[in-house]
Formats: sequence, C-alpha cells, structure tokens
Amino acid sequence: MIMFDRRLIKNFGWFLFLMTLAFSAISLLNLYSASYETGLVSFKKQFVWVGIGIVTLAFVSFLNCKLLNRYAIYIYGFSLLLLLFVLVFGKEVAGSKSWIDIASIATIQPSELVKIAVIIILAKFYDDDYQATPYGFLDLIKPVILIAIPFILVMLQPDLGTAVTILLIAGSMVLFMGVKKWSVAFILIVVLGVSFYSWHYSLKPYQKDRIRTFINPSSDPLNAGYNSIQSQIAIGSGGVTGKGLRSGSQTQLRFIPAQQTDFAFSVLAEEWGFLGSIFVLLLYFTIILWMLDASSRAKDKFSMLVCFGVAAMFFWHVVVNVGMVIGLLPVAGVPLLIFSYGGSSTLTAMIGIGIVLGIRMRKFPMQGEAIDLG
Amino acid sequence: MQDFRNRLFIVTVILGLAFLVLGSRLWYLQVLKGEEFAKFSLENHIRVERIPAPRGRILDRYGKELVINRTSFDIYVIPKDVKDVPYLSVSLSQILNLDTGQIEKDINSALKKKSFKPLLITKDINRDQLAYLEARRSSLPGVIIEINNLRQYPHGVLGASFLGYIGKVSVAELENNSKVNSNDLVGKTGVEKGWESSLRGDDGYKQKVTDALGREVESNLFQEDLQNKKSLPGNDVLLTIDIELQRAAEEVLGNEAGAIVAVDVNTGEVLALASNPSFDPADFIKGIDSKTWSNLVNDQSSPLLNRATQGLYAPGSVFKMVPSVAALNEGFINEEESVYCPGYYKSGNSTFRCWKRGGHGWVNLRSAIVKSCDVYFYKIAEKMGINNLSKYMTAFGYGSITDLGIEERAGISPSREWKQKRFNKPWYKGETIVSAIGQGYVSVTPLQVTMMTAAVANNGKLLKPALVKEIVSYDREEKFKHAPIVSGNIPVQKRMLDLVKDAMVGVVNDPGGTGSGARLKDMTVAGKTGTAQVVSLDNRSDKKKHMDHAWFTSYAPAEAPEIAVTVLIEHGGSGGAVAAPIAKKILEVYKKLKEQREADDNV
Repeated sequence: MIMFDRRLIKNFGWFLFLMTLAFSAISLLNLYSASYETGLVSFKKQFVWVGIGIVTLAFVSFLNCKLLNRYAIYIYGFSLLLLLFVLVFGKEVAGSKSWIDIASIATIQPSELVKIAVIIILAKFYDDDYQATPYGFLDLIKPVILIAIPFILVMLQPDLGTAVTILLIAGSMVLFMGVKKWSVAFILIVVLGVSFYSWHYSLKPYQKDRIRTFINPSSDPLNAGYNSIQSQIAIGSGGVTGKGLRSGSQTQLRFIPAQQTDFAFSVLAEEWGFLGSIFVLLLYFTIILWMLDASSRAKDKFSMLVCFGVAAMFFWHVVVNVGMVIGLLPVAGVPLLIFSYGGSSTLTAMIGIGIVLGIRMRKFPMQGEAIDLG
Repeated sequence: MQDFRNRLFIVTVILGLAFLVLGSRLWYLQVLKGEEFAKFSLENHIRVERIPAPRGRILDRYGKELVINRTSFDIYVIPKDVKDVPYLSVSLSQILNLDTGQIEKDINSALKKKSFKPLLITKDINRDQLAYLEARRSSLPGVIIEINNLRQYPHGVLGASFLGYIGKVSVAELENNSKVNSNDLVGKTGVEKGWESSLRGDDGYKQKVTDALGREVESNLFQEDLQNKKSLPGNDVLLTIDIELQRAAEEVLGNEAGAIVAVDVNTGEVLALASNPSFDPADFIKGIDSKTWSNLVNDQSSPLLNRATQGLYAPGSVFKMVPSVAALNEGFINEEESVYCPGYYKSGNSTFRCWKRGGHGWVNLRSAIVKSCDVYFYKIAEKMGINNLSKYMTAFGYGSITDLGIEERAGISPSREWKQKRFNKPWYKGETIVSAIGQGYVSVTPLQVTMMTAAVANNGKLLKPALVKEIVSYDREEKFKHAPIVSGNIPVQKRMLDLVKDAMVGVVNDPGGTGSGARLKDMTVAGKTGTAQVVSLDNRSDKKKHMDHAWFTSYAPAEAPEIAVTVLIEHGGSGGAVAAPIAKKILEVYKKLKEQREADDNV
C-alpha cells in the first residue's frame, strides 16, 4: 500500500520534474510550428498527450518501486499480451501493424510501452540473481529469452526501429551488469548469423521490402536519401541562430519528411539554429545524467538497474534519432522521446521519468518500509 | 555497489562522447556549412515558371496582318491535387467534349507513377468551354489553365510558300540559340525561319514559392526571395509584299502548278511571290501531326517547294536577253545585222531547229526578239562562244542565289569550268548554241528571271531582291529599314540596253509579237515569252508531264518602269498563249491597286 510521507515531497526530484515541464513546453512550441500549416491537429493532440503524460508521471512517481519489483512478471506478461493483440487486431499504418485503435479517439503503440516492461523484467532478473562475477552465456539464457520474445513480436509487426531500440536498451543493461568476454563474442556471432540467414533465406521478398522500408521509408517520393538530404538542408540552413519560429522554409513548405514525428529535431534545428539544437541536446544530456545519478544513489540493485535502463532508453532514442536526422545513421523510425509527436512514446518517456523520480525520492529508508521489510 | 559506481563513471564518459559526436556534427552542418545549406534551402522552394513571349507579327508592306498571334487556353491537371478523380473526369469530359475513361485512366496512371508534372488534358479550348470551366473551377481542384500564344493566319493559305511554317525546335537549333527552349516552336521555313531571330521574343519568368510537392504556395512567407522578369514580344516584320497583289497572283494561278514573281524594279522589293501548289500553315500551328506531315512530304506535286525561289527550270526563250546583251556589248552584232532563218541552223554535223519550222526569214536583233527566232541566237552564240555568254549569265545573277533570305536554289549558269568540274568533260560548241535559247544545262528560278528583267528595266542594275521592308520592335522602335542594294552592274552601254528594251516592247505590242497576250490598253508592257522544252527522264504515261513550261517575263510601264512580273506555268505549253495573259492580269491588278491607293491618298 502507498504510505504518504512528507519526506516524499521534500525528496521529490523537483529539478527533473521542472526540467520535464520545461522540456514539454519547448517540444510543444516546436510542434506548433511544425504543424501550423496542417491546421495544428497534431499540436493539439500532443498537448493532450503531454497533459496525460504529466499526470501519469506524477502518479507513477508516488508508486513505491517495490510494487514494480513485485509485479514485474505481470507487467511484462501484460505487455506481451498487448503485443500479441496488436499483431492480430492491430491497425495497419504504412505497412506495419503497430497500433491499437482505442474507440477511434486515440491509437496507442504497445511496442513503445513494452520498453519499460523489458527494463523492469531485466532489473527483476538481476535483482533476484546474486551472482557477483561476470555472466557467462549459460547464465544469460533467461534474460536472452526475456528480451527475445518482445523483440521478435515487434519484428513481426514489423517495426525494425523499435525492435532495435529494445535490443539496444536491454543490451546496455546486460553489458552494464557484466558479461564474460567470450560470451559477448558468441552472442554477437549468433545475432549476426541469424540476421544474415533470415535476410537471405527465411524472409519473403515483401518482408525484406518492409525492412527496407524502415531503413529507407517509402514516404520518400523522389529518390533514395531524399529524407536525409532534406533534413540536413533544413538543419544546415538554420545556421547559428536559426530562421525563427514558423519561418523555416524547409519546415513550413513541408520539405522535411515526418517533421512532426521522427524529424521533429530538424524543425528545431532549422528554426532555432545551432544554439537551439545544442540547448536541447544539453537538456537531454542533463536529464540522462540526472537519471544516472539517481541510479548511483539507488538503495537496491533493482532500483539502480531500472534507473539505468530508463537512462539507456533516453540515451539510445537521442543517439539513434538525432544521428538519423543529422545524417550520421540510416533512416529508421525511432522517435525522439517527448520531442516527437506521438502519444505512446511520450507516455513511455513520462512513465520512465516518473519511475526514476519515485526511486530518487525514496533513496532514504522510510517509516513504513522498515515494517514492511520485517 | 562500489563496482557499479565505477561502471557508471565509464557510462557517463561514453554518454559524454556520444553527445560530443552529435554536437560536432551539428557544428559542422549549422556553423561551418550553414551558408551553403541556406542557399540550398532557398533553391529548394523556388520554382521558375517561364512566361513564353509571343512571336512578332508578320505584316505586308502596308501593315496588313499576315501572321499574328492569338491566345490559346490549354488545360492541365495536377494529379496530386485532384480530390475526386471520377468526378473530375466526368466534369472535364462534359465541358471539353472528351472521353471520360481516357482522362480517368491518364490521371490514375500519373498518380501511380507519383508524377508531379502537370498532365496535359487538351490544348486550345474554345471560349465557351473556357467560360464553363472558369465557372466550375472551384469545384474542380487540380485543374490548371495555361495561357499560350499560337500563330494565326488571317489570310489563310495566302503567301504560305514564303511565310513558311513553324515547328518544334530541333536539337541542332537548340544548340545554336540560347533564347530557345526544348518544345518551343520555331520558324522552319520561309520568313518564319529567315527572320527567326527578329520574330522571337525574349521569354520572361516568374518565380514561385512551392512546397515539397511542387505545388504553388499562396503564403507570403517567403515572397522576398522572389524575382520576376517580363516577357518581351518579338519584333514585327513588315514585308515588301503587297498582299492584294499576292492574292491576285495566287488567284490567277488557280490550280496550275507554277510561280508568279512581281518585283519593284527600282528597289528590288518583292511585291508578290506566289507558288502553287502550296500548303496550309494552319496545319503547323500546334506542331504538325505525323499523318498530315507525311502527306505533305510524299505529295507528288511538292506543295512544300517554293517554286518561285527553289523551283529550277530551263528558262527557254526568256533567257534570250542574256545573249542579246552579251553579243551587243561584246561587239559581235549590231542592231542592223540580219540573219536568215530557214527554220534550222547547221553547225558542223549538227542541225538545230528553230521553234518555227518554216523559218522566220531575215531577222535582225529586234525582230529576232519580237518573234523569238531561235536561229538568230544560235548564230550569235556560236559567234561569241561560251566564255562570253557565261560571263553575262553570271552578271545577270544566274548560278547563284539572290540572297532573298528564304529557301532558294542557285540553279546552273554553265561554263567550261563548270562542266569540267561537274562532269570532268570538255565543253562542246553545240552546248553553247542551246544555252543561248535557255536550254541545255541552263537552269534558273523564276525569281532570278525576274531580277534579270528588272535589271534590264532599270538600265543595268542587278538588285538584291528584298522581302522585308521594315522591322519594328513591339514598342515601335525601328530595328531595320530596307534600302535598295545593288549586287552588281551589268556591263552594258545604255544605248545597247535600249535596243533590247525596245525589242521587248515589240514582243508585246508589235503585230506578230509573241507576247501580245500581255498587251494593255493604258500601260505599255515590255516582255519576253519563253516555252521551255521539258526533258523528262521518267517514262510516265501522263501526257501533261511532257508538255513545255510556259514562261513570260515582263516589266511596265515601258517608259518609266516600276514593276517586273514573271510568270511560270509548269507544263503549261506556249509561253505566249498561257503565261503572257496571266502576267497581263497581274499588271492590271497592280495598276488598279496603285490608282486606288493614289485616290485614297488624295482623300
């Protein structure tokens, strides 16, 4: 049960919370500009989503993270059920069955939410396990299966971007906990072997096309690389100080593909320049650092790993998304958390922040817990 | 837990490095390459739309419009912008009288190809259709009405042979002219081609802001980046042609294949230049369709050939002015000297017949010209030889183009050197003899014959014929005004030329003159008939193909010459009987038009 303690307020991570609010405001302003020419539809929806997200964040932060530990297997199981459900009853958008339509008002994407479940279940695995030395391959069979099930289910949608992100987050956690060198090598060989085999022998042409579509989205009307080029033109042409709110020609004339979702960062960089884009990158950097700090101060292994996992989630989303829009990585559908328009990814980010906040404010032993521990 | 704190430190370092990489890339794109990308983004959204400039008009010497422009409204559809393809297809097909299925099919296939180019539905709709379409435009998104300039011919086929036609620019023409764009229509023949650079306007352009799909954006957000340039219409070309005289010339030719040339003998200005059969330049307005084109090209009667300037014929007896002038000036004959014509002429082993089997009896220069005695000219030709004769042929302009500015052929002015070069054979005396009566190798265009007659009429000046009198820019600035150009003086004394002129008056006015068919009551006409034998190599059974070409060349009034008129009727028969009466009609019209104009001026 939830014990309310005044120290909860006192220890509440106001810094991260206020930063999240400020960040939400910036992202909404950016989305306002990106969606102005299309009637602000996505701006209004995102406004609602951010609201729902912040309420969810507050709610989650007041949950004792022991509950997450206790119900980890149910959370994980429920998210797998959602993934199965979406495969059967999901709404197909741009060739992928990734969305669940809720009474035609909103659609949610379980594959985003499943990231949190994977973080929790992995933390639970390591928390239950008391091994001190680096993990060998055989020790890792259980976590590999725990990662593989959601990974495969997401691949079947198919949503390569999200599947790879799940792999990156989980992989970071596993590596962080220590893996024997030879096991790392073995896993790498197996992963590469399976990918190679499935690409050449097992995937049907249309499946390959779908994967190619994700590497190079078919919204690309003129030629390959169009999206990436237009995005880089937008970012570069922003210069040092940017073209100003609603004045980015690349944005307003819709040269930037998916400018409200995956390429939202390009809009920011065009209209606010180097100063604006570096500012937002620094905000992400600070948020992630804050999460790692929470991780280092956590009082148990589970809390530490959950914080680390959420930090890894933010980190990989920033690296893959920003890397993609600035032309360092191939185009794959990975959103920039909070910044990209999208209810599920925003909600996922907010839940993640909420969990970290909850852990952070319980870094000191509390009244109720002592009894509970006994 | 200490162990994990160490690992967290490593993680923080990795995090810092990753953000450093992202930040550096942003620095590179935005700070180092910022200006370059700013230029890209500017070019990205600006589309240049060409505003085609109308071609200049072509007018006759009195400013009557021969070739003008009219506006055409062309219908395009931008497939991406169409809201309801079946509805649009039905609406368009009803308004424009087109096939519904075809429109729908075209739009759908353009959509499938993700084509952003406007799809042409139809060109040049009429005013009613335009009105209907404009009224329903708001319910038909995606429809574009483009305004273009098309050639129009108020006088129909009149003058087509020298006005020429227009057609899609060829690759070679594109390379030579920076003002022309692919798919443009340019002059292909006649004045349209010869004065292309004057007629062609200077295209303008309009820059428009477009979105990523190439659609024009109404927003005034980026208007300050735009530049525009007005199109400048081409220059108007005023011809030397009098369209009324031209009309008369084409009317009198009727169905006969042939040519009529009328030239101002004092200025070289071409007043009429008729060639029949001809073509309809209207067929070429939007680019000719391949069927009509192949019909024109394969037509045995060669409608695309301008017979006045490109048609090569043996001149027959109209040529006799050349040996007359040559022999007089070189001193081989005088006006008194007579030759007996028994109806034939013997030279060595060869016998050359006079056209009059019974012979002309005693003839001197005047009567030989008046009666067109061949034997007299055989004799003087043999006397003076080919070198003297060809010198005067060249002086009269034969064997080279007159440089009128439209398609021309030079013809042949034979000489020893020419034959050596052409056939690698020596010259024979008999060839000199037949050359004197305009047969053998001699081949000329009706325009060349007219310029010869004009040179006789104006006392020895071979003028460069002119087709263009004036070029005026669209804002009334004079770009060119014709002044007579003497391309050569005939080496002959006026006294001797007067003898020839007097004989030419006799041809028309003497009893027994071969050109009496051209005699006019109130104007003295001077002229020369010609009946050129056709050496036909094909054995067509068509009898007409073997008939002689009928020639008549003339000038008037004899006392103060103004106009030279030459008539050629292919396979027409006798020049005196067929060509002379036609020349008479032209001269009559000329006189009537002149009197009318003087009367108008007095009012």
